[in-house]
Amino acid sequence: MPGVLDFDNVSKDYGSRWSRRRVRALDGFTLSLERGEIFGFLGRNGAGKTTAIHLALGFMRPTSGAGRLLGKPFGDAATRARIGFLAENVALYHRPAAKLLRYYGGLSRMRPQRLELRSREVLRQVELETEANRNAAKFSRGMQQRIGLAQALINDPELLILDEPTSALDPLARVAMRELLLEANRTGKTIFLSSHQLSEIEMICHRVAILDKGRLVKLGRTDELLISRDRYEVVARGVPANSFEQSALQVRSFPLADNLGPDGRVQFIVPASAQRDALERIWSSGGEVLSVNPVRRTLEEVFVELTNKGSAA
Amino acid sequence: MRPVLLMAANFLREHRWPALLLCVWIVLLALAAAALGRRYAVPEDVIFYVAQQAIFICVFSAFLAADAIHNDRKSKRILLVLSKAITRSEYLLAPLVGTSAAAIVYSLIFDVCCLWLTDRARMPSAGILPLVLLVMAGSILAATVALFFSTFLNPYFAIAATVLLFTAPGSLHLQHHAWSAWLPGFPILIRMIDFKLGPDATIPWKAMLIAMAHVVIFWGMAAAVFNRKDIAVPVE
Repeated sequence: MPGVLDFDNVSKDYGSRWSRRRVRALDGFTLSLERGEIFGFLGRNGAGKTTAIHLALGFMRPTSGAGRLLGKPFGDAATRARIGFLAENVALYHRPAAKLLRYYGGLSRMRPQRLELRSREVLRQVELETEANRNAAKFSRGMQQRIGLAQALINDPELLILDEPTSALDPLARVAMRELLLEANRTGKTIFLSSHQLSEIEMICHRVAILDKGRLVKLGRTDELLISRDRYEVVARGVPANSFEQSALQVRSFPLADNLGPDGRVQFIVPASAQRDALERIWSSGGEVLSVNPVRRTLEEVFVELTNKGSAA
Repeated sequence: MRPVLLMAANFLREHRWPALLLCVWIVLLALAAAALGRRYAVPEDVIFYVAQQAIFICVFSAFLAADAIHNDRKSKRILLVLSKAITRSEYLLAPLVGTSAAAIVYSLIFDVCCLWLTDRARMPSAGILPLVLLVMAGSILAATVALFFSTFLNPYFAIAATVLLFTAPGSLHLQHHAWSAWLPGFPILIRMIDFKLGPDATIPWKAMLIAMAHVVIFWGMAAAVFNRKDIAVPVE
């Protein structure tokens, strides 16, 4: 079954075919977005995230490969009436915010009566209803970003494609934006979110893709991605904290040992290869193993690991 | 059609100051030709004013249209517009509709100024209407050709290319060839330069129809080129 947004082995080169300065921005990129999910799209600057978004919206054509947006080939104008897009560093015309929203709604072929209602509704959602008659181009960066989101929501889209939506927002506005996206998702909208705000992606995205140098280096469910299979957290009781001091192993395995709790609990982080050895030591020293769980990493750790690996290669 | 009209209105709104300036310029120059400290306008001044303004309106229309895509791409406003349910052809039609609307307004102001001037100079006004219609057709064609060139050239080069296309046949003395009537813009330009007031002036239907055919052809070519353009790539 086709996804909401499908890339099928898409590559994109910038520069003319004969130019020496030809750059490959996207390389054999394949991805499928499922309906109703919030999808996080990560990568360093220049990794190809915006290129992928622009290809999906038909702003440019792939050098090779193909893709589908809501079941139609990239670039189909009628399909775009069912999506909302917020560009990175949104640029707005010099018009009052409410009129600007009605303008963009009109371009999405909405009826004037519905547009009137909807523009008031989205202005309220982005908390700019009191600024409706002010020139949107003279708004602060954060307010412009919110108007940008409002124009993306104006046509009540099935799919929201957001390129760095929180880049110019202060922490409170960021929280509000997050709530807005979660609410949009609850009402059935699929969200494709490209961002550098890793903590945010970690908090709201169901799935994450990491792009490096135009290639997809990781794709998976956020919770699975964050679980490390090479490090385990061991919680034990009744073990003297210095019981591993004589072990050559502990130098590597237990530098993170901490949290000697009031009930004698000790928490260790051990590599997967040393897990068995650590457990045997706990038992042999008369201790009790309370739990062994894979370590949950932050998305930042995963991101740095994957993109650094790419750089080293 | 509604999205095209919305974009055309927005285009005119964005360019309202230079567009208004040309309206003022047409009137100011008419006043200058009429007055200049004399009691009556001099026929030579009137003829000069009419021919010069006619060409000027066409050139200005080309300027207005040539800038449209470049401006939107440079500011990246084009991204939000083309993320809506708009085809590239519709997007290109908007500046054309906007420029045509402006050209019609210019032509009407020009018409009124010409009638007033000829009246003051006690000259026949019979040739004014055919000229005004030619100005309308010429402006729309100049805008379309400039728009076509601007799909792959910087706006200044697009203007230069448009002027070259319209004037090069004159440099090559092609006006004496029968087929020169089919060249884009050139027959209109010749008629503007050779403009004469008099009762024998007729409405140049053939030249206008050919100009409108060229408008369709150049708009089609512009759409074909623009459809293949990577519009998200930054422009200088």
